[in-house]
Amino acid sequence: MSTACQVYKRKVYMRNTAVASAGILLLLAALVVSMNTGYTRLLPSDTFRILFGGGTDAENLILFQFRLPRVVLAAMAGAGLALSGCIIQDISKNPLTDPGLLGINAGAGLAVLLYVLFFGTTTFMAVFTLPILAFAGAGVTSVLIYLLAFKAGEGTSPVRLILTGIAVQAGIFALTTVLVINLDETQFDFVAMWQAGSIWGSGWKYVLALLPWQAVLIPFVIYRSRMLDVLSLDSSAACSLGVAVEREQRILLACAVALAASCVAVSGNISFAGLIAPHMARRLVGPRHTVLLPVCALTGAVIVSAADTFARVIVQPSEIPTGIVTAVIGAPYFIWLMTRK
Amino acid sequence: MNSITTENLSVAYEEKLVVDELDLNIPKGRVTSIIGPNGCGKSTVLKTIGRIMKPKNGMVYLNGKDISDLSTKEIARKMAILPQSPQAPSGLTVGELVAYGRYPHQKGFGVLKPEDRKVIEWALEVTKLSDLETTAVDNMSGGQRQRVWIAMALAQQTDLILLDEPTTYLDMSYQLEVLELLYRLNREQNCTIAMVLHDLNLAARFSDHMIAIRGGNIMKYGTPEEVMTAEVLKKTFRVHAEIVTDPRSGRPACISYDLIRDEGDSV
Repeated sequence: MSTACQVYKRKVYMRNTAVASAGILLLLAALVVSMNTGYTRLLPSDTFRILFGGGTDAENLILFQFRLPRVVLAAMAGAGLALSGCIIQDISKNPLTDPGLLGINAGAGLAVLLYVLFFGTTTFMAVFTLPILAFAGAGVTSVLIYLLAFKAGEGTSPVRLILTGIAVQAGIFALTTVLVINLDETQFDFVAMWQAGSIWGSGWKYVLALLPWQAVLIPFVIYRSRMLDVLSLDSSAACSLGVAVEREQRILLACAVALAASCVAVSGNISFAGLIAPHMARRLVGPRHTVLLPVCALTGAVIVSAADTFARVIVQPSEIPTGIVTAVIGAPYFIWLMTRK
Repeated sequence: MNSITTENLSVAYEEKLVVDELDLNIPKGRVTSIIGPNGCGKSTVLKTIGRIMKPKNGMVYLNGKDISDLSTKEIARKMAILPQSPQAPSGLTVGELVAYGRYPHQKGFGVLKPEDRKVIEWALEVTKLSDLETTAVDNMSGGQRQRVWIAMALAQQTDLILLDEPTTYLDMSYQLEVLELLYRLNREQNCTIAMVLHDLNLAARFSDHMIAIRGGNIMKYGTPEEVMTAEVLKKTFRVHAEIVTDPRSGRPACISYDLIRDEGDSV
């Protein structure tokens, strides 16, 4: 190996370490700030005191029951959506795609809407059933899109997948609009909040609901880093290297759907995180997935937890949905990204 | 001894039959070129041999074994396919892409072992890319990029390399460079090469065998001298060709040709 190459490799290693450390620091900062802010302000020193068991009952309640689960959930949702977006962008070979493309948001939204339409928002069971329903809606829509895009003998081409996704989504949005007309005011508010991506389920039970999905899917996806590396080449080049392209794509798409759907089910429709986090991560550490995937998850976690903090601060004592904040930050970033290339 | 044999191979896009009951041989240790007019099925044949496309009927044998019995990874250790103008994700360096060639030989997280590194270094060296190892593939010229993909195929360490028009979009000196590299690999490493080529004279100059295809059927199989005749080119391309012997290479070359008119489409 030439010395120039060794120098380059050391540089890459240092860059990756720097990016990862910066990401972790930013995430910690977002967590601390998020725990400090809200209706009752807590200083960072208070936060640490309460965290280590020195708080009053009221402080304990605020921190452990309200703020901590919410910020943990925001970070988890961000990481899940970012990983899902990264996989979908690789497989569709289109940097402009995101989990929404596979009908995850539309399908989950429709399921939530149908539930609210038939059972109302006051039912106690809503808290438990909605995530499952949203997940089912997302899953059914994704399978539908995949089947419609599938062609016997040829499999699915990225372009066909994207076009089918857009068509099915348009259909679901039309159906949603028709159904929304029939809602009363409380129902409408609830659905609108969900669509805008409010991290509404902010108790520990939501964290617990999301945890098993991520505990299985994230390591599984990271274990397949090398497969994703090869799949991000031409599909014929990937085939030449000995990857069963269609089968692997199906497995990874299923993972992406499950990752995003489980997040969306508890956090509502958070837009742009799954689109932008992979872009940022790629710019920072390049296209190799062994490094890209962890950095991507970290980036997503930082974006959504920061956005969620912001959403709670900006119009205190009220709050705006996190999804709106990610969109407000995300859209200009994306335009900037496109004008640069 | 044949590296690839096909039996009654038929391939169809949807219902349209592109290749019809083709029996074809690619001899081991030789350079074989497939020529034919646009849409004749030559790329389809190559893709089917390379298991990128599934045949409708018939068999493909790799070293005498039915490829449908082999796992795709097993095949990847014996045969590399270079698609036509493949794409690499932006930001990927030459060294990284070439290292992907080790994929079929690795397990788990795929940490490169010393022997993998040796193969990668060798592949970079023979393709004259050692100095460009840390360059991003998307910043390179077409000729360099083609060499990178060939290097990746070499890192796969297969006995057989299939290439789909490896000289497309390259200027004349790059075309020669790529073909000379493949020729050297064949003569020095005993690598079997099978490729689809558009340029008949380059095909004749660098191949041991040529296969002329039209309408999914073989018009002629043989040495360049046997295939590069006015009669075969008339059958294959519907042209009147003027064939001479290239004084430098001693191989047949087509110096001029005209379209055949007023003869209908029958041969």
